[in-house]
Amino acid sequence: MQADSATLHPTAAKSKRLRKPTKHGRYQLFFMASPFLILAFLFSYLPLYGWIYAFYDYRPALGIAHSPYVGFKWFTTMVSNEVQRAEVVRVLRNTFGMNLLGLMTSVVPVIFAIFLVEIKSTWYKKMVQILTTLPNFVSWVLVYSFVFMMFSTQTGFVNGVLMDLGWISEPINFLASDSHIWIKMTLLGLWKGLGWGAILYIAAIAGIDQELYEAARVDGAGRFRLMWHVTVPGLMPTYFVLLLLSIAGFISAGFEQFYVFQNAVNAHDIEVLDLYVYNIGIANSSFSYSTAVSILKSLVSVFLLFIANRLSKMVRGESII
Amino acid sequence: MIVKGRKLSFVLSVLCLVLVISACSGGSNDAKNTSSASNSPSGSSGSEQLPELTIDVLSMLTDYAGPQEGWFAKIVKDKFNIKLNLVNSTGEVVPSRMASGDLGDLVVFGNENRKEYSDSIQGGLLLDWTKDGLLDKYGTNIKKYASKGIEANMKMFGDGKHVYGIGESVGDGEGSSELNKLTMGPSIRWDLYQKLGSPKITKLEDYLPLLKKMQELEPKSDSGRKTYGFSLWSDWDGNFMNLARTIGSYYGYQGGDGFNPGDMLLVSATEPKYQGLLDENGYYIQGLQFYNKANQMGLLDPDSVTQKFGDVANKLKDGQVFFTPWTWLDDTYNTENHTSAGKGIMPVPFAEEKAITFGYTPYGGERKWAIGAKAKDPARVLMLIDWLYSPEGMMVLQNGPKGLTWDLKDGKPYVTEFGWKAYQNPDTEVPAEYGGNTYKNGSVKINNSTLNSNLINPETGEPYHHDMWSSTLDHQPNPVLSSWREAMGAKTMNEYYTKNNMIAVTKQTFTGEPPVQLTTDIQQKQNEVGKVIKEFSWKMVIAKNDADFNKLKQQMIEKAKGLGYDEVLAWEAEQTKKTAFAQNP
Repeated sequence: MQADSATLHPTAAKSKRLRKPTKHGRYQLFFMASPFLILAFLFSYLPLYGWIYAFYDYRPALGIAHSPYVGFKWFTTMVSNEVQRAEVVRVLRNTFGMNLLGLMTSVVPVIFAIFLVEIKSTWYKKMVQILTTLPNFVSWVLVYSFVFMMFSTQTGFVNGVLMDLGWISEPINFLASDSHIWIKMTLLGLWKGLGWGAILYIAAIAGIDQELYEAARVDGAGRFRLMWHVTVPGLMPTYFVLLLLSIAGFISAGFEQFYVFQNAVNAHDIEVLDLYVYNIGIANSSFSYSTAVSILKSLVSVFLLFIANRLSKMVRGESII
Repeated sequence: MIVKGRKLSFVLSVLCLVLVISACSGGSNDAKNTSSASNSPSGSSGSEQLPELTIDVLSMLTDYAGPQEGWFAKIVKDKFNIKLNLVNSTGEVVPSRMASGDLGDLVVFGNENRKEYSDSIQGGLLLDWTKDGLLDKYGTNIKKYASKGIEANMKMFGDGKHVYGIGESVGDGEGSSELNKLTMGPSIRWDLYQKLGSPKITKLEDYLPLLKKMQELEPKSDSGRKTYGFSLWSDWDGNFMNLARTIGSYYGYQGGDGFNPGDMLLVSATEPKYQGLLDENGYYIQGLQFYNKANQMGLLDPDSVTQKFGDVANKLKDGQVFFTPWTWLDDTYNTENHTSAGKGIMPVPFAEEKAITFGYTPYGGERKWAIGAKAKDPARVLMLIDWLYSPEGMMVLQNGPKGLTWDLKDGKPYVTEFGWKAYQNPDTEVPAEYGGNTYKNGSVKINNSTLNSNLINPETGEPYHHDMWSSTLDHQPNPVLSSWREAMGAKTMNEYYTKNNMIAVTKQTFTGEPPVQLTTDIQQKQNEVGKVIKEFSWKMVIAKNDADFNKLKQQMIEKAKGLGYDEVLAWEAEQTKKTAFAQNP
């Protein structure tokens, strides 16, 4: 039968044969991509269903079906009066302030990487790299206990040394202080992330064409000129991509660090948006309110991403999305 | 050589990986074994030939997670052929379990979980004990010894027909329901107090100069660290600084009325009066002032803001702290080493004191025993709860295994030598025939009580708890206790406070209605206000001088009011007036 139809309609058979590979290829590509599309849908879009909780007064035992509908109440609560608004402004100020400091210090790993590569002694280079990368794997909880041990007034060695030297007469509780807290937190973050952040740049430096260095050397460039005119421009694309990505994500950065370091004295200046959501919402089981705040957070993130993209277009002439 | 080294490191890393994986799977194998074993009948120890059953216990009163071990595990296994597996109840686990619809087999709600309890009933997550006549069949002891507790829960939460749970400390009586040592009341270093000539303490503030002298007398602790009058911690704070609110309890004011939610209230136990937390002359502000004065005098441990309770316990043990706000903390310092050397922290009241003490709760307290709606074998879970409400179970719950820590002589209970050792030092090893492990690890991890421990056991004619047995009171006291008894002219703190009319006994409110719940609006405001109060309270405590203290106080009040403090306070006071004050005018 098949043979018959083929002989009866030679043109049809021919066109089929022609079209088949493209059609086949199209589906093949689609099927190859589909697992990832499904995953993206499952983990990135399906959870958006959870936004519905922001419009209910959700109580876990009753389920969403039996919880009362409250409309936009949670959204308006956030800005309902002056003190409340001041709270939101304070939290946003902390979020943006500390993250901007973080962005500003993001050049430090670049500088670190550039100088590290210049070191001749291999074992010393390796050692420095390992020692600076290790803190990245220490959790914030452990970092806090370590810092607490160092600065504790009773057993801390910092207070011990200062007292023994006779510089102070009474122990000082350094952790219960809000002076320069943003800078202290940024430095801690830098200490933890320095080596890890430098890894990408070290790899990028290895990828810079050696001929560029040779040509520059022939032209009489010294060591610092090589760094400034070859290495730095070679790193810029990597740096910018990472910078732009971190701008887009910065509203949700740093919860863990601030959560473990917060106390009554510094909470005012350390409470970032995520921590605020936790302290007000999750810790008190106000799930609906927390959801409402996170929705706003997502919107701000999308907004920031577009700004970053625009910036990228302006500065480098290419966009990242 | 290099190649060899690499090979070696590769082999080592693979080995590590294998070890890690096998460690994980080993754990899961164990879990499988127990669950399969739980279904297979066991013929050996089960007295009633019931198959072994592992029940999941969700107790919101404990941080412990894992199987119950040691002596209590052995008693429950021998008696009921049941193994208790405590599931994690910390953080967000409880809400997510509620959302999933399965709370486990045995569920215990804490004082803070009133909302969860009533929501769970409303959401159908708890078993109705009257279903299939379960309560009549298996709850004979509960009905006999705690009938009012059942009645109350039926009225309040079950439309007068259903029973979803029962509260703790059920029992009727007059006066304080507490043991020898009341909970609320300041304690100080007794030996130093004596050395200083036991000066009279009239007002709360009188402790401060006294503690200063103690600090001068003993500037270093056992391990050579600096000593302080107070060492505070913040990890127990709710919507306020917990240790400041507790000062109110020395004046007969407790946090809330004990029935309705009332975080912003201090309510008198003896008369229908209340204070707002931020009242300028209220006890909360007075508490903050007290700690601040201590700070200005150099009596407050500078670590207070940043440390956790565990740190404080260690400092207490080492003798770095002279004052404790709750008497149960005293024993952290009063180890045998210290007491035998005549050193100890003992309750020393001030003359104006009227300490809050918990009265009897005939209808049962807020800590509920309940059974999950999806429990594997509800009848056996109820049997277990029922036993805990019987005199036999009560004795185990309060005093440990019979024959080991206590026993009967001529029908009267007494604490054995081992008992004294284990109560004094809970890390004492328990003999294998009683379940092994240490006494502490084998203690009842569910951490809830059943009947009031002060009630008279009908089988012995003495109270349930060993603290109150006549044999205990006659037992050889340590040097510190005997010196205290001599100076105070009373055998126990309870006796001294009662005799001198220094207690304010709380009364249980019962209206037949469940307590109201915070509306989400009020709750939301209270969360915001609470955060501000907590933050500023600590800042006030560590303020450098009175001017700073007052400035911060004004800022706190202003900010809290801006966030809706007045509204929350008015709402909560309204509930208290309607229920607690209406019932006990």
